[in-house]
Amino acid sequence: MQRGNGNSKISASKEMTLEEAVKKYIRDSSSITFGGFIGRDCVAAAHEIIRQGRKDLVVIDDSKTDVMDLLVGAGCVKRWEGAYLGYGAIGLAPNIRRSVEQGVPVHLEIEDWSNAAVSMRFLAGALNVPFMATRSMLASDILRYNGKIKVINDPFAGEPVALVPAARPEVAIIHAQRADVMGNAQIWGFLGNDENKARAARHTIITCEEIVSTEEIRRNANLTVIPYYCVDAVVRVPYGCHPQSCYGYYAYDVLFCSQYHQASNTRDGFLRWLDDYIYGCKNHWDYCNKVGWPRLQQLQYLERQFNLIRI
Amino acid sequence: MEEHSYTPSEMMAIMTCKEFKDWEIAFVGIGIPLIAGILAKRFHAPNLSIVYESGCIGPEKFRMDFNVGDSSAADYALSLTSEWRVFADLQCGFYDVGVLGAAQIDRFGNLNTTAIFGAKDYYTPLVRLPGSGGGNDIGSSAGRVVVMMRLEKHRFVEKVDHLTTPGFLDGSPSARQKAGLLGHGPSAVVTDKALFYYHAETREMYLDTLYPGITLEEVKGSVGWELKVADNLKTAPYPTEEELQALRSIDPANLIMGGAAEREKIARAGIDAYVNLILKCANGR
Repeated sequence: MQRGNGNSKISASKEMTLEEAVKKYIRDSSSITFGGFIGRDCVAAAHEIIRQGRKDLVVIDDSKTDVMDLLVGAGCVKRWEGAYLGYGAIGLAPNIRRSVEQGVPVHLEIEDWSNAAVSMRFLAGALNVPFMATRSMLASDILRYNGKIKVINDPFAGEPVALVPAARPEVAIIHAQRADVMGNAQIWGFLGNDENKARAARHTIITCEEIVSTEEIRRNANLTVIPYYCVDAVVRVPYGCHPQSCYGYYAYDVLFCSQYHQASNTRDGFLRWLDDYIYGCKNHWDYCNKVGWPRLQQLQYLERQFNLIRI
Repeated sequence: MEEHSYTPSEMMAIMTCKEFKDWEIAFVGIGIPLIAGILAKRFHAPNLSIVYESGCIGPEKFRMDFNVGDSSAADYALSLTSEWRVFADLQCGFYDVGVLGAAQIDRFGNLNTTAIFGAKDYYTPLVRLPGSGGGNDIGSSAGRVVVMMRLEKHRFVEKVDHLTTPGFLDGSPSARQKAGLLGHGPSAVVTDKALFYYHAETREMYLDTLYPGITLEEVKGSVGWELKVADNLKTAPYPTEEELQALRSIDPANLIMGGAAEREKIARAGIDAYVNLILKCANGR
């Protein structure tokens, strides 16, 4: 991988719409990773991928709830390489279960990892080295079913360590609180593995709550977790994480997720939900209308009562 | 029974809370483990720091999280950083205790959170569970591990279908060190009916404490192997009114322990009622 000189990521503006970004960078069979950590995941991007009918995607990621349950239920994903596919404190992920247990709508291939292992895979990708070592997964059945993990004795001291290969997905879609049109993305709150995902991926799409001037970026440059040279596209998608939270902007919509979970308990219920909230909405703005702006504003109000960090 | 009105889940949270010590650093998952951690901070362990795998270190909790990456996980944190950094700190040995749930456990504390095979296999199991998440990492490298799960015979099994998170492996002396694992392994299993510890010599789980109203036979009948029992088997005290009140104020809408039924109720009341309730409880603290 060589992305340094003469790369195509240098341009004055990379701003585009979510429809354009998904169309341009995500194809059938693409490998993808999403930013966030079950919080600040760009759920709106998953909606758009479903609307555009992408198939056979390979998702390489640490932990996912809404994004993967939706994509798998809509039949977009062939393979998962990751650590956690559930639905948080609410329960198991209904579409993941149907897919893996019954092959509905298609059988999902799963390659299990731990979160630390996935973190090391993205760190290796971001360092542009072939692998990293971890002390996780030793003596577990994760090794039995995942042939990519090599346990070796450390050549220096002789102790066992697990080696995991670099992750280099074709596309990373990362939601930031704000970015400029060049692609300098500022994130605050927890960071997940986003700094490394953006560097490990061949193409990075930044979605964000707000687009700000480069002057404004320079005033708080410590917040620029992802510099412009890693970035291919910048898309303003306010409330792009709903029903998940976006730190400093809006709280988790636990009631909405609870209703989604109930509805998705049956395949028919999920298909109705898909019609209502994804196929029935022509884009993210339409989805926000459907959810209701007063509801989104309440979640924003709630978040701001608890947030001490002021940018 | 009116004076001792509490649910098995509430008892489990209160018993888990006692496993934390003041000034410890705890890697805690969402759900009842987090409730137990918050409760510990309000009683005997005010300086307990909670760490989340999303990259949040030392938050103070005035509202509940439903995912490790909810924005609430970062509220009033001491440090907000990367996921890989937090796992690196775990591997450096900074974290004293981890709290994990599981679908299956065996007598040596090995955990399964990946799949229940049933008559099928790993690839097409009877029930696909979420997977390791950070569980394997915590079980591998945290100083010690407290497990929380319901005591049921299909959960306490002779052999787990999939060993997701290592306990004492086959129970042989220094099995963990030989494998290259850093942490000391499991220290306690807190259930809805009884509390279990591990024997220092044999590394096997034994029954230490029954909860009020639970019989020894009931517990033995819920474990899939010949259960060892402490010579001085104890009975836990009833939870105090103070403990129960504190516990219930942590998740005022009762969305976690109350489950789908309670979530349905508040969903019908609407988002405005929910937001008002959360703010009212937070302001009370």
